[in-house]
Amino acid sequence: MLVDLILLFLFAGIPYYVFFEKTKILGKEKIFILSALLVIVGMIVSCKFQQEISTPVVIVAFIASLFSLYKANKTNNLYKLTYYILFFNAPLLIMFNTKESILYGISLLVTLLGVYLMGRYYERSYGSANYQSVSGITLVTPYAGLILTGYFTALALYPPFPNALLFLNGILNSDIHVMWYLIVIVIFFGNFLIAMRVMAKTVFGKPNENVHYIDVAPKERFVHLAIFTLLLVLSIVGLKELL
Amino acid sequence: MEKLVLFIPFIPVMIAILIGFLNKKEQMPKVAIFFSSLVALLGLYGTYYVMSTDEVIYGFGGYLVFNELSAILVPYVAILGLVIRKYSTKYMWDEPGYKRFFILLNFIFSAIYLLVMSNNLIILTIAWQLMSISLYLLISFNVESKSAIKNGGWTMLVHKLADLFFIIAVILTYKTFGSFDLAELSQKWLDMSQSGPIDDPMIYAIGFLFLFAAMMKSAIIPFHLWLPYTSEAPTPVSALMHAGVVNVGGILLNKMAFLLLLTPAVLNVAFIMGLITAVFASILMLAVSDIKRSLGYSTVGQMGYMIMEVGLGAFSLAIYHLMVHGIFKASLFLESGSLINQARKEPNVPKRLSHELFWEEKPQYNSINMFRMIAFFTVLPVIVFVGVKLLLGEDFFHFNSATLILAFAWLTGTQLFLSFFEVSKANSPKVILALISSFILVLFTYEFVGLALEHFLYGEHGALFYEVATLHVSGTMTLLMLLAIMIVGWYFTYKQHFVGIPIGEHKPNKSKWRIYKMLAKEGYISDMYVKYFKIF
Repeated sequence: MLVDLILLFLFAGIPYYVFFEKTKILGKEKIFILSALLVIVGMIVSCKFQQEISTPVVIVAFIASLFSLYKANKTNNLYKLTYYILFFNAPLLIMFNTKESILYGISLLVTLLGVYLMGRYYERSYGSANYQSVSGITLVTPYAGLILTGYFTALALYPPFPNALLFLNGILNSDIHVMWYLIVIVIFFGNFLIAMRVMAKTVFGKPNENVHYIDVAPKERFVHLAIFTLLLVLSIVGLKELL
Repeated sequence: MEKLVLFIPFIPVMIAILIGFLNKKEQMPKVAIFFSSLVALLGLYGTYYVMSTDEVIYGFGGYLVFNELSAILVPYVAILGLVIRKYSTKYMWDEPGYKRFFILLNFIFSAIYLLVMSNNLIILTIAWQLMSISLYLLISFNVESKSAIKNGGWTMLVHKLADLFFIIAVILTYKTFGSFDLAELSQKWLDMSQSGPIDDPMIYAIGFLFLFAAMMKSAIIPFHLWLPYTSEAPTPVSALMHAGVVNVGGILLNKMAFLLLLTPAVLNVAFIMGLITAVFASILMLAVSDIKRSLGYSTVGQMGYMIMEVGLGAFSLAIYHLMVHGIFKASLFLESGSLINQARKEPNVPKRLSHELFWEEKPQYNSINMFRMIAFFTVLPVIVFVGVKLLLGEDFFHFNSATLILAFAWLTGTQLFLSFFEVSKANSPKVILALISSFILVLFTYEFVGLALEHFLYGEHGALFYEVATLHVSGTMTLLMLLAIMIVGWYFTYKQHFVGIPIGEHKPNKSKWRIYKMLAKEGYISDMYVKYFKIF
């Protein structure tokens, strides 16, 4: 039970909601790094102490996840989005078997790292990681458009990106029960809705005439290419696991 | 050598990557057309191989297969793809994102090939979802259009729901039958069907999940709205959607045909849903005022008909139907641009073959002719068909397929009727003759090609599907019902296209007005979606 509670604490964003959300001790650009580190610690813990997770813990994680979904749909900030999406996927990380959970967690973290770096690019180019008024980037900044399309397609759980393959691998190897259906359906659609909402406001739309658009610099493109290569490797791993 | 055919799904991905590196605009379509011609040739070679050797080609560890279904569908998709790419070369030239368009087009074709050639449920799941995301990016190609993005979002929501149903069905299939291999599963399902009736609710649940996933992607009512409302997409995308993407439901059900042998109730539901869709969407097609949406509803109706065929056990006819419809609808979409161009140049409606053949000025319509026409278009073809069928012999007469053929001929006849009369506004004997000829031609082609396809795809097992799907309704009763539907349909068509608009004080009948309003508003389904599901 103690391990369950520790995992819940590490995966579901409890430290953020209890300590950091209101107090502003940490800037939002640092919260993702901290949350990602906590998730990695959680993965190590679940690896060391493999055991059946109790249903009440899954239910609590699911309630926290729904709250994160609500928060993710309210925000227009790419930094905030990264950790809300991470917290939103927590029930899967808790519910899946250890190996599947770690693989899914890694692919999620890699994709969110990409989004986080895009947040930094937004902050540098447009003054903040807020994407609200920077619409239609596909036409004016094609590289940024392509990169964001890639990340959000992955987050919306579409193949060939690893998130979809490892999600499928995870649900395929877990036991089916009523909570399973509920969690799988909500997270499947939640990820999709968050991604579609962001894509509609960033990748698509009319370019804003009052904004001076700057595309991703060649150096940054290289970093994103590395992330996509990593995702490709994870996709191959996911496909191997599935088949 | 024949194993090369299995690379077909990967060639479009290679084309997309290659186009990604090209800088000169004029080189992009050349590369796309050259390599897609190769795909078409490979597909035709595969078809020749399967037909001549009676062997299927397995590869990539058995995950991909070029079987009888692929032998029919791969060349069809490849040739369609070639035409669409050629058409897009000039059509999309001035659009921003020319390169993006060709890349996305190749991705969606890759997904369709993978879907057709997959022999594994996991590969099928990947192809199923890949197609959804490629479609979304193509529908939303005009990124500046708010409505295109919104409708794209709705499309994706329906497709995502279909993905969910599909994934749960795959998981339950694995948990129940212990395999992902489609050939192995099909054999298992066939053996099970021959060992007596099955009462396992899980198998029925799997059947229903696959059916609903197919219905969503094939725009069957009530999941149909995404199709008529995405007409804002570029014309080549519309052609692809109406000729290729909506067909995946039929392809999936054909792949799962032996599973459906175990679940007669699923087939019956498919028949009912298909019937409702075919009738309702055909009526809406006539009632809506937007021409593109009308075309969308026409496709919905045809898809309803295709699902209805599956529901009656005529799986091979569904494949034939979706191909013929695809060619017909793609040609309509691809022709629309040149027609608009001609219309801009000429003061009159541009002349078509039908126009030249049948045009005849007719100032006033004689009401007695209406009954004569209904008799001509309904009773006569039914008598001709039943007579010929009986003459050919009892063995040849499968009642289910006869019903299908008649109804299909009716639907096709309606479309032909509309096409001709919208142009000519005449009812000359030539037109009547052409309609009856077309009816009979459709009837016989459908029957003969359908039977040949059935033999090719399912061999001796073809008859099993009819047995399972039988609705236990007497022949006379079904014929009478069909006759009633045809008469109502033709009457509606007549009313829609031949009655002159009354001049002066005229108040329409209230109930008629309400029905018309309901139909013109598309059964209020779109309003309901907008009101209660404000997601995008």
